[in-house]
Amino acid sequence: MSEGATILALERVTKRFGGLTAVADVSFTVPAGELLGIIGPNGAGKTTLFNVISGYYRPEGGRVVFHGHDVTGQPPHAICRLGLTRTFQLVKPFGNLSVTDNVMIGALTRRASVRAARVEAQRVVETCGLGAHADTRARALPIGLRKRLEVARALATGPRLLLLDEVMSGLNPTELAAMVELIRRLHAEGLTVIVIEHIMAAMMRLARRIVVLHHGETIAEGPPAAIGQDRRVVDAYLGEEFVLAQA
Amino acid sequence: MDSLLRSRGGALVVFGLAAVTPLVVRDAYFLDSLVLILLWGALSAAWNVAGGYAGQVSIGHASFFGIGAYAAALMVTRFGRGPWLGMLVGVVISIGAGFVIGFLSNRLKGPYFALSTIAFSQVLLIGVSRWRGFTAGGEGIPVPFRPGFATLGLGHAGWVYMALAAALLCYAVEVYLERSRVGYQLAGVREDEDAAEALGIPTRRLKVFAVTLSAALTSICGSLWAQYIGFVDPTYVFSVDLSVRFALNAIIGGMGTALGPYLGSILITSLETYLRATFSGVKTGFAGIYLIIYGTALILVVRFVPDGLAGIAARLRTRRAHA
Amino acid sequence: MDPARPLGPAQIDVLAQLAVATVLLGGIYALVSVGLTLIFGIMRVVNFAHGEFLMLGMYLAFWAFSLWALDPYFVLFVSIPVFFVVGLVTYALVMRGVIHASHNVQIFTTVGLSTVLQNVALVAWSGDFRFVRPWHLSTVLRAGGTIFNLTQVVAFLIAVALTAALVAFMRWTHAGRVMRATAQDRDAATLMGIDTDRVYRLSFAIGIAAVGSAGVLVAPLYSVYPTAGLQFVLLSYVVVVLGGLGDMLGAMLGSLIVAAVEVAGSYLFGAAWKEIFYFLLFILVLVFRPAGLFGQRGAETLGV
Repeated sequence: MSEGATILALERVTKRFGGLTAVADVSFTVPAGELLGIIGPNGAGKTTLFNVISGYYRPEGGRVVFHGHDVTGQPPHAICRLGLTRTFQLVKPFGNLSVTDNVMIGALTRRASVRAARVEAQRVVETCGLGAHADTRARALPIGLRKRLEVARALATGPRLLLLDEVMSGLNPTELAAMVELIRRLHAEGLTVIVIEHIMAAMMRLARRIVVLHHGETIAEGPPAAIGQDRRVVDAYLGEEFVLAQA
Repeated sequence: MDSLLRSRGGALVVFGLAAVTPLVVRDAYFLDSLVLILLWGALSAAWNVAGGYAGQVSIGHASFFGIGAYAAALMVTRFGRGPWLGMLVGVVISIGAGFVIGFLSNRLKGPYFALSTIAFSQVLLIGVSRWRGFTAGGEGIPVPFRPGFATLGLGHAGWVYMALAAALLCYAVEVYLERSRVGYQLAGVREDEDAAEALGIPTRRLKVFAVTLSAALTSICGSLWAQYIGFVDPTYVFSVDLSVRFALNAIIGGMGTALGPYLGSILITSLETYLRATFSGVKTGFAGIYLIIYGTALILVVRFVPDGLAGIAARLRTRRAHA
Repeated sequence: MDPARPLGPAQIDVLAQLAVATVLLGGIYALVSVGLTLIFGIMRVVNFAHGEFLMLGMYLAFWAFSLWALDPYFVLFVSIPVFFVVGLVTYALVMRGVIHASHNVQIFTTVGLSTVLQNVALVAWSGDFRFVRPWHLSTVLRAGGTIFNLTQVVAFLIAVALTAALVAFMRWTHAGRVMRATAQDRDAATLMGIDTDRVYRLSFAIGIAAVGSAGVLVAPLYSVYPTAGLQFVLLSYVVVVLGGLGDMLGAMLGSLIVAAVEVAGSYLFGAAWKEIFYFLLFILVLVFRPAGLFGQRGAETLGV
C-alpha cells in the first residue's frame, strides 16, 4: 500500500450498550504509514472503539473499512488475518507459556510451519528487547516486560496496522523511554500505528496527529501542538497546567 | 533425535515395558490389569485432548465412550457384522455428538459447559435405557466372544497389544498437539481465548476440532472396551462416574501433558486392582470405596498438586539439573 | 389429544389437574432451587455437589422413618439446623478454598465432593431404591374435578412457607441485606467493611439447610437412592438460570416453568421419559435463553 493511501476508515461508527452510547458517530481516516494517537478521559470510549475496529464488538451503526474491505462485524481472527492486530489494555499473556512461545503463536498466523514461526519469533523477541527472557514463563514477568511481550506478540502476526492500547501505563521512566523508542522504530520501518495513551508526554512526542474522544464523540483532531492548546480538550481533561506544561 | 529420546524417555519406558511384558509374563490376571491400565490411559489421553490441551473441561465424555461401546456391540449382535465396522460407525456418530458438544463449548464457559456435558450424557443414558427394542434397554448387551482378529476375539497377549495400539494412537495425537501449528494455537485458546482471537486464531473452530477429535478417540476406545469386557450396559457406559474417571487420571498424572494420563492411569488402575483383590470378600460396597478415594484424591490434587505427577517429575528433574 | 376437539368438561378437568400438579410441583422445586439461587447468586460458584445434599436429606428422612417411625414433616424441623451445620463444615473444608480459584479447580473440587458423597451413601446404605411411605401418602384429596394427595399438598405448603421465610430474611434483616449487597458487588462490599468470608459461610450454610430440608420434604414423593441428586441438581440449575442467576422471585417463576414442562411432558409422553426432560430442558435453556427470562446480570458468567 502506498504511503498516503487510506488504510483505515471509520464511517459514523456508533456503539451502544443498552441505554449507554459508548461510541457516538465517530469518523476519521488513517493514511498508511501514519502514527495516530487517540486520547481522552477515562470512559471516553477509546478501548470500545478499538474493540469495534478489531471485531470484538459489532457496532449499532456505521462502518469500519480496512484496506478497502468492509470489516464491520467480522470476527477478530479474520480481521487479524487481513493485517490488523490489536493489543489489550489489561495485558493478556499466555501465562504458562514462555515468552518465545507466546510470540510464536502470533507468528503462526502467517507461517504454516512451526519451525519458521519459531525463527520469526526469536527475531521479534530480539527486536523488542526481550532476548534475555526468551525462555521465561510469561506469568513470571513484571508488568513492564509483559507490556513489551504484548507488543512483540502482536508484531509477530505481521500486521499492516497495529492498534496499541495503553501500552505505556504502569511503566517506569526507563521502560517508558524504551517503549517509545520501540514504537518509533516500528513506525519508521513502515508500520501504521494507532496508539491509545494517557501519558501525554509520550503521546506528544510520538504522534503526528491526535484524535480526542470525550463521551464517545470526537471533540478535536489535529497535530499535538494544536491539541495541546485546544480549549475543549483542556476543559475535558481538567488539567490546564499539566497539558500546557507537556506541550 | 537425541532430544526426542530424552524428552520422550518416560513414554519409551512405559510403552516399552508394556510391549515387552506379555513376552515374559503369562499370568492372566496381571495381563488383564495391564490391558486396563493401557485402555484407561488411552481414554484419559483422549479426554486430555479436549480438557488439557484445548481447555474444554467436560464431565460427559462417557457419551462418546458409550456410543462407541454400543455401536460395536450392536453391530455384532444385531446386524451380525464385525466390531471393526461398529467402531467406524461409532466414530462417525461420536463426531456428530462432538459437534453438538463443541457448539455448546462455544456458548458456555467453564462450569456451565461441564454441567451441559453431564446433561448430554444423561440424555443418552436414559434414551438408550428406554429404547428397549433396539438397544435391549437397561438389561445391557452381552457381546459374544469369537476368536480371531476380525472379531476382536483375542487372547490376553493379543489384547495387551491391541490396548497398546490404542494407547499409542492417543499418545501420538497428544504429541502432535504439542508440536504442531494447530497445537500451539490450541494452547493459545486454552490460555486466553480473547488474546488468541486477536492473533488471528479461529478459536471457535479450533475448539470444535479439539472436541470432535477427542470424541472420536474416546469412541474407538469404547468400542474396544466393549469387545474386551464382553458386556455393555447403559448405566455404566454413560455414567457420570465414568466421565469423572477419564478426567481423574489426566489430572492426577498431569493435565495438558502427553504422558500424564498414562501415569495417572498406572497409579489409579493399580490402586483399583489392589483394592479389588483386598476387598474381594466384601462384595457389596466395594464399588463405592475406591470412588470415595478417587473423589477425595481429585479434591486434594486439583488444589494442592495441580500439575500432577508429571509436574512433580518435572520439578525433580530441574532440581537435579541445578544440583 | 385432538386439538380440533373443543374443550369439553373432561378436557378442562385434565387441564385443571395438570395445572394443580404443576403448582404443587413448582412449589417443591422452588425450595430445592432457592438454596442454589442463594449460593450461586452470592458466591458465584457452580457447586456440582448441590444435588447430593438433597440426597442426604432424603436418606435422613428415610432412616428416621424406618428406624423410629418419624414422619418427615417432623424430621424437617430437625433437618434445618442439622444441614446448616453440614453447610458450615463443608464450607470450611471444601468451599472456602474454591471461591477465588480457577474454574477448573471449582469444577473438579465440587465434582470430587459429589463423587465422595454419592459413594459414601452407596457404601453405607447400598444402591437399593428406598421408599418413605408415611400414612398421608395414600390420602387423597379432591377439589373440583382434580385429585391430589395430602403429601403433595403439605409438602407444597411447607415449601412455600420456608421459601417465603427465606425471602423475608433476605429482604428485611440486616444479614440478608448484607448478603444481597455482596451478591451485587463483591468488591464494593469488601470496601464497605463487609467480611465477605462470613457472608459466604452464612449463605452456603443457609443454602445447604434449604436443600437438605427440601430433601426431607420430597423423600415420600420420590425413590431414594445414592444418585437421586443428579436429576435435581440439573433441574435446580435450570431454575436458577431461567430465573436469572440469584433472583429469588425469578427462581420461583423458573420453578413453575420447569414443573410445567415436566407435568406436560409426562402427560404427553409418559412418565418413563420424565427424567430426560430435566436434562433436555437444561441444554435448551442454556443454548437459547442463558440470560434468563429477564436478561439478568451474571449472564456473563455463563460465557455468553
